[in-house]
Amino acid sequence: PRPDVHPLPPGTHLLFAQSGRIEHVPMEGYEMKKDAAKALLHLPEKVIIGVAYDCVEKMVYWTEITSPSISKANIQGGEPIVVIRSDLDSPEGIAIDHLGRTMFWTDSVKDHIEVASLDGSQRRVIINSDLVNPRAIVTDPPNGNLYWTDWNRDAPKIETSHMDGSNRRVLVKDDLSLPNGLTYDSQSSMLCWADAGTHKLECTHPGHGDRRKVIEGLQYPFGITSFGKNIYYTDWRRDAVVAVDRQVGTESDTFQPQKRTKIYGITTAYAQCPSGQNYCAVN
Amino acid sequence: NALIGTPVDCQPCPCPDRTSCAQIAVTGQVVCTNCPAGQTGMRCQMCEDGYYGDPLGQSGAVQPCVRCDCNDNVDLNALGICDHISGRCLKCLRHTEGDHCQRCQRGFYGDALNQTAVQKCKPCSCNPGGASGHVNECHPQTGNCQCLGQVTGRDCSYCEVGFFNLQPGVGCERCKCNPVGSSS
Repeated sequence: PRPDVHPLPPGTHLLFAQSGRIEHVPMEGYEMKKDAAKALLHLPEKVIIGVAYDCVEKMVYWTEITSPSISKANIQGGEPIVVIRSDLDSPEGIAIDHLGRTMFWTDSVKDHIEVASLDGSQRRVIINSDLVNPRAIVTDPPNGNLYWTDWNRDAPKIETSHMDGSNRRVLVKDDLSLPNGLTYDSQSSMLCWADAGTHKLECTHPGHGDRRKVIEGLQYPFGITSFGKNIYYTDWRRDAVVAVDRQVGTESDTFQPQKRTKIYGITTAYAQCPSGQNYCAVN
Repeated sequence: NALIGTPVDCQPCPCPDRTSCAQIAVTGQVVCTNCPAGQTGMRCQMCEDGYYGDPLGQSGAVQPCVRCDCNDNVDLNALGICDHISGRCLKCLRHTEGDHCQRCQRGFYGDALNQTAVQKCKPCSCNPGGASGHVNECHPQTGNCQCLGQVTGRDCSYCEVGFFNLQPGVGCERCKCNPVGSSS
């Protein structure tokens, strides 16, 4: 095992990217065990943007923009492995379908969304029109849905489609500005986003047309992830990970790493995969 | 490694401003863990995203990390807006181009450095009937298109005084007014 990969103890963790490394914070219930936070992986020459977690093989996946690539590493210790290194310009958001064993990512220069198997094979562009600044992307594996944000200054939007790119629809377009972060919680079927322009965190049940403001007055949210009753977001101005109680709509905790630099993507590394299967997994 | 028992076991971190480092036990590789603001990398030799420079002078003179300079023609919500060493802007907007997004793209004219968005780069949009060149070719600052004979206007859309009937690909015709009956 590689010595700069600190194996993660069992349990749920938050994983986030900050300046050439992927950090982790263990969770105790919904509490961030800040004292036990440390680097999972040092990648000192890289600018890591998106992070995603595969609960089946316990692998963290990330996008990187200095030598544009997508890589993975086992969170229990192991060498980082590059999965995709060609034909990427600016890969940003990344999401895993742990049932279908695929990954999805946005490229903000190519302005498209791609899918590939977790080993990088069977790569295919699934959305390549009407995208200006695609950023966050998340999956809903049991239902086979994909959600993403586009922070296009002229017409920001949150969209959805099936995992093959079909049945594409705009979910949210009004009162949006810079939707940088997006998260889907399969337990509550809630899609939530953090907007660095409206400074709000909002949620919707896709397909119900409802929309609820969770909290406002955020400074500069970038990444966001859900875990149970809480939402955790990274903030570019505060250089911190902030916990928000989704029901109460209040900030319940803040973790500010010693290092004061921008924090990018964040994801929840669940102790166990949520139950369920989808069409692609059995076919 | 302080556990070996010789006077040189603990060595200062090879990091700027006496910041901390960590040694990877097996390889012996030392990674700086708390680089000064704006710096990153194994030895803090790189600039963070959104900054450029050469803080340790690895490829020439020392250049502290400074913010990408793209003349307000990039979006601060974007990532990777400039090369972290040279500072060359990679994501110019509003039809600008150049290392610092300092000039208009081909097919556009105006002042890329102007503070107000409407004064920035505008499309040439030469009148296809009156322009002798391509409709997307004009003077980068003035926006003047190349016009056919006796055609004038920035975009070649009307005839010079004394000429009329702008015909695409031909130009304008002389008025041929009868000198006796005309007032000019």
